[in-house]
Amino acid sequence: MSFSPSRKSPFVWLLRKEWRELVASRSWWVLLVAMGPLVGVSFISAVRTYAEASGLNGTAVGQGVGEAFSPLIGVWAPTFSACELAAAFLLPFVGIRLVSGDRQSGALKIELQHPMSSLARMSAKALVLLAGWIIASAAPALAVVLWKSYGGSIYPPELATVVFGHMLNAGLTIALAAATAALTEHPSTAAILTLSVTVGTWIINFIAAVHGGVWERAAGYTPTAMVAEFQHGLIRLDVVLVAAALVFAGLGLAAIWMRLGIPARRRINESIALGAMTLAVMFACTFVTASWDTSESRGNSFPEADEATLREIRTPLRIEAHLAPEDPRRADLEHRAFVKLRRVMPKTDVRYVSSSTIGLFEQTAPHYGEIWYELGGRRTMSRVTTAEGVLEAIYEISGVTPPAEDEESIFRGHPLAVPPKGAAAVFYGIWPAAVVAAAFFIRRR
Amino acid sequence: MLHVSNLTKRYGLLTALSEVSFSIRPGEVLGLIGPNGSGKTTLFECLGGVLPADGGAIAENGRPLTAAERKARVFYLPDAIAPWPAQTVGWALDFITGFFGDRRSTTNDQRPTTTAVVRQLDLEPLLDSPIGTLSKGQRKRALLGIGLLTPQPILLADEPFDGLDLRQTREVAQTLRAHAAGGRTMFLSIHQINDAARVCDRFVLLSGGRVCGEGTLDELSRKAGQTREGDQPERGDLEDVFLALT
Repeated sequence: MSFSPSRKSPFVWLLRKEWRELVASRSWWVLLVAMGPLVGVSFISAVRTYAEASGLNGTAVGQGVGEAFSPLIGVWAPTFSACELAAAFLLPFVGIRLVSGDRQSGALKIELQHPMSSLARMSAKALVLLAGWIIASAAPALAVVLWKSYGGSIYPPELATVVFGHMLNAGLTIALAAATAALTEHPSTAAILTLSVTVGTWIINFIAAVHGGVWERAAGYTPTAMVAEFQHGLIRLDVVLVAAALVFAGLGLAAIWMRLGIPARRRINESIALGAMTLAVMFACTFVTASWDTSESRGNSFPEADEATLREIRTPLRIEAHLAPEDPRRADLEHRAFVKLRRVMPKTDVRYVSSSTIGLFEQTAPHYGEIWYELGGRRTMSRVTTAEGVLEAIYEISGVTPPAEDEESIFRGHPLAVPPKGAAAVFYGIWPAAVVAAAFFIRRR
Repeated sequence: MLHVSNLTKRYGLLTALSEVSFSIRPGEVLGLIGPNGSGKTTLFECLGGVLPADGGAIAENGRPLTAAERKARVFYLPDAIAPWPAQTVGWALDFITGFFGDRRSTTNDQRPTTTAVVRQLDLEPLLDSPIGTLSKGQRKRALLGIGLLTPQPILLADEPFDGLDLRQTREVAQTLRAHAAGGRTMFLSIHQINDAARVCDRFVLLSGGRVCGEGTLDELSRKAGQTREGDQPERGDLEDVFLALT
């Protein structure tokens, strides 16, 4: 072995070291192996359902659910949901191993004596973990290749949105894992803490579904809700900014607590300041309304003609919906109409009124189910929860003539009646075998 | 000259270091002597900046050092660690040289190369072995290699002879002395007094978190009242001196 002086920067050395540590960790290889079958089971099931809805085995084309003919909803959302599972249950352990490993082995005490900032050190770990995640994402990328080989349609903007959403989710997981690993003495405690936070976000989603209100707003920023929006081809700038703030906060917290030579009191004060700053940034981000619908089906938007008409209405719109949080009509109204409405009319103020959570015992109440629209002093009431019903009510009180329906712009979908040929062999056989072989050869070197 | 003054470290109600003060002179081999639990590792960790001290200061020629300045002057090599266990010894030495920077400023620089350190510590057979698979003594030699390749002018080595056999202890002691002769200051924490007597120029005696004495063996012997003026104490006397002073 020969040693020669190197002129690489310390950060490059650190990146190389973190990469070697990642490759040496069994947890990453387990993540890689698991990604194949996880993606495979989702992809195969999604393609099969898509094919059946498209007319495979005698099902007539056109009798399926229209939305299912969008590869985004029919194939990419379920296929990439495997990434969400892996990010929630596998990636944290890879991250914790990479961060805690240095503390456990004593390497941290050596590395800490380099003048490099703790944040730079943590960034090197995060970058390598992200690279590790990108490699693991080769499994869903294979699904894209297979889909293309079946003759499936790909609309790059919506696919890129899904990928971006899952990358952001992975970033959140990495930041969370880094923070918990730095805060705790032992990796097992960090794992418990990370999973507790994940479960905590699910609890927020559950409470939001039951109680609505502020909880509903908070639930909109949980990883699950964030990923769901990306999977529908919607990029909300506020969600991206909040996620980015949380990623920086997580890495910042990890950087603070990895500085073993700093008194605990100072680290606590810095953590509190970082937390307060992050909350302030997150609060400010909630006022950002920019968003982009990248779906080919424009599933998050009203028809273009309607959007152009709605943009002309400058007066703030107030909506009061008498629907309980768990009433399915409220979910319909929110997802099929209000999400689209807020994108074109940011001055829309929606208020839900109910005296119970499920609404079952409110059905006989005189005003239950009513949706009141108020615009410039004019009011109207409707009980319709579809996008068309909402548009009709708004046009009525605004005095605007509804635009003519444009048949040309209606998304017809991309039916594909092809079974997932060869996918099982790729995801259940070739992928795991290739990963195990790669692990064997690379780790032996 | 580096001067440590009134360094104090508490763990809750327990005082691990109490107003510890001493000096480190350039190019010397200074021994930190003390029984188990006397605070040697705590003192090194505080000096190395990996454990916060509750009080005290480190000054160079009378000027207090900032954390960044201390990092540039002092490297602390911990005991009983197995850093990067999956990586090979050769890689670890390469990493340390690259990460901390090559100590040699010019090609004519006399400071040790990685190859020289590998030869001095007989690390050649271990270069391809993962650190996690090494025996205690092998790991100690690999760690010393890491410490000797760092660029800071002062090396704090915690228990550098722990796990080494007699022959290796003597060879490592010679290597450390050679590096000190090359201009690097060595501050070694040693609980085996005979080992300390073999390698160190001066000593800091630590007991119960307090400095009980500092100086050469002669100075400490005089302080202990064990030698008459003009007598040359034998090396083995360090044990008696230590017992007398602590």
